[in-house]
Amino acid sequence: MNTFLSEKNRAVRRSVRAFCEREIMPIAGEIDREARFPWEVIEMMGKLGYFGIQVPKKLGGSGMDSLSCVITIEEISRACGSLGLCVTVHNSVAVYPIMAFGSETQKKRWIPPLARGEKIGAFCLTEPNAGSDAAGVEATAIRNKKGYLVNANKVFVTNGGVADICLIFARTDPDAGRRGISVVVAERGTPGFVVGDLEDLCGMRANPVTSIRLYDCKIPAENLLGEEGTGFQIGIMALDTGRIGIAAQAVGIAQAALEESARYANQRQQFGVSIGKHQSIQAMLADMATELEAARLMVYRAALLRDQGKHFSRASAMAKLYASEAASRITDMAVQIHGGYGYSKSYPVERYYRDARVTRIYEGTSEIHQMVIAREVLKDYAK
Amino acid sequence: MALHIIVCIKSVVTKAPENGIIRSAETAEMNLFDRPALESAIALVEREGGTVTALSMGPKSCAFVLHEAIAMGADRGVLLSDPRLGDSDTLATSKALGAAIKKLEPYDIVLFGTRTYDSDTGQVGPQTAVSLDIPLVTGVSSLNYEKPLLRVERKVDGFREEYNLSLPAALTVHPASVKPRDIPLSGIEEAFEKKKIETWTLNDLSLDPKLVGKKGSPTEVLSMKKMTRERKCEFLEGTLEEQAEVLIERIKETGLIT
Ligand SMILES: Cc1cc2nc3c(=O)[nH]c(=O)nc-3n(C[C@H](O)[C@H](O)[C@H](O)COP(=O)(O)OP(=O)(O)OC[C@H]3O[C@@H](n4cnc5c(N)ncnc54)[C@H](O)[C@@H]3O)c2cc1C
Repeated sequence: MNTFLSEKNRAVRRSVRAFCEREIMPIAGEIDREARFPWEVIEMMGKLGYFGIQVPKKLGGSGMDSLSCVITIEEISRACGSLGLCVTVHNSVAVYPIMAFGSETQKKRWIPPLARGEKIGAFCLTEPNAGSDAAGVEATAIRNKKGYLVNANKVFVTNGGVADICLIFARTDPDAGRRGISVVVAERGTPGFVVGDLEDLCGMRANPVTSIRLYDCKIPAENLLGEEGTGFQIGIMALDTGRIGIAAQAVGIAQAALEESARYANQRQQFGVSIGKHQSIQAMLADMATELEAARLMVYRAALLRDQGKHFSRASAMAKLYASEAASRITDMAVQIHGGYGYSKSYPVERYYRDARVTRIYEGTSEIHQMVIAREVLKDYAK
Repeated sequence: MALHIIVCIKSVVTKAPENGIIRSAETAEMNLFDRPALESAIALVEREGGTVTALSMGPKSCAFVLHEAIAMGADRGVLLSDPRLGDSDTLATSKALGAAIKKLEPYDIVLFGTRTYDSDTGQVGPQTAVSLDIPLVTGVSSLNYEKPLLRVERKVDGFREEYNLSLPAALTVHPASVKPRDIPLSGIEEAFEKKKIETWTLNDLSLDPKLVGKKGSPTEVLSMKKMTRERKCEFLEGTLEEQAEVLIERIKETGLIT
């Protein structure tokens, strides 16, 4: 039992878990193998409010708190990492920045269909030459009388293959460094908006991660999010929130790996006893459970700080760093506990292992997180 | 007049307790057989208008089943909770529920699940109907309001029965009759945001406390333990025909076929 959680949070967990166990778990292996985005399930998830978790009810959302949001992401990821990714990216780095920086008109236009899951959102920052160094974006949005002429080559776009509403980070001022970056919202179907091929990824295979290219795309001026030159700040704010979601995703995947491993350790017999009777397996299970719980507490704390309106960016960075690294270790041990079967596609743990791996890379690599956290720690104790 | 439907729901124990039965959101959940009853009530009210009241008897820690019912679409929840109700058997429980339902008058329909999956007596629905002195149909598979009557269908032993009931009436709802809806996040938000749950004690009811609890219960559960079934795996040998023969014999031995 987790002492952080309110009755409401628990009710969220119960209902999301029941849904995911019935509708997602049975197909998770298959959609990973087929690299298929399961629209039939997405539609149901939309009706249950999973695409507008924190959007106010008057805009078609569920009006929930951050803690309920991370529990939802955790539970979806426990069943399927790829759908956890879809939901966290959509909610925290597509819908949230529009809610936080959009004008009333923009919110009324874009949020209701996003919140109902009728349209899917995407966050397009990374480019071939701008990964960890996000300020290095080369995409351009040139202002003219009618709006912006946008050229961009965005790669590794989560939900890219299905997204209708894309936040594009582009330069409105070529000489102003990070202050020259702005966010324009590009809608699928705009002439010049091209969706690239599916990335052939190691994990997260049921998420249609693609590149998105804009060729001389004419985007109306009213699609600018916030002010010109504030794109970098919008990105940072979105990622502060997004990282809690990625951390929750890591916790969900790790939870699934732990459950699978404990069940297997009870059942698999070697040397005349269940392997759970061997000390080395026990040590792994103990470490897995402990690291998982530590990660979960960090994630919930970051969400709780956000709910309380307190500064949460350091807590969110730490939660993302720890939870993603822990999930990698936990899923690695899960494979080990399963022996050869853990390396086989007939068991789900190899999928958890592949899915967990990328949580250390996207929305800021572990190394970038270490750098940011260290910088703050050093500042704390600088004279 | 708009319909008022009362649905009786129970939190059932999912984990066998160490000492004594403790029900909380961690160790209990809404009885699976009550979900179709709730679904039928909510769907009927969506079609015909009216309100759904969810009623549950149990300790305060079980209010979560009422939150869940409201999140699903019920309008109001009543938790009947009093230490004096502890150790009530099905008869005492039915009397207590009956008294609470009387206090909820006027009502048109009282719905129950066919049984619970932690004690499986199937007695509470029928006994409560008796205590209220209203007509009852069990194992109902569909219900339609054809003012002023309720038309219900029941499938038993290969027959389909139809009844017209005058209201108020009680029904137990067949678990396979409807697929209970999933709970939307917005429903949960609403269930907790608006105070829609009342807690009643015996003092709120006109019921002699001697009729409930241990004193009012002619039966008593002495112990409750988790049962583990031995599973055995056996490989049948021989040609396919021989294997099929043996298999048929084995299934006959279990009494599943004759
Ligand atoms: C499945 C998936 C989904 C993704 N979804 C999205 C999305 O929706 N939107 C989006 O914009 N992007 C997305 N990305 C991109 C992701 O955010 C980037 O891959 C990530 O930021 C790293 O950038 P990079 O791949 O260019 O690596 P690089 O930045 O080239 O990093 C390579 C290595 O160098 C290290 N490194 C770089 N700079 C430093 C430094 N200063 N100090 C120490 N080490 C450093 C990194 O930690 C890493 O180990 C996704 C990626 C994947 C794999």
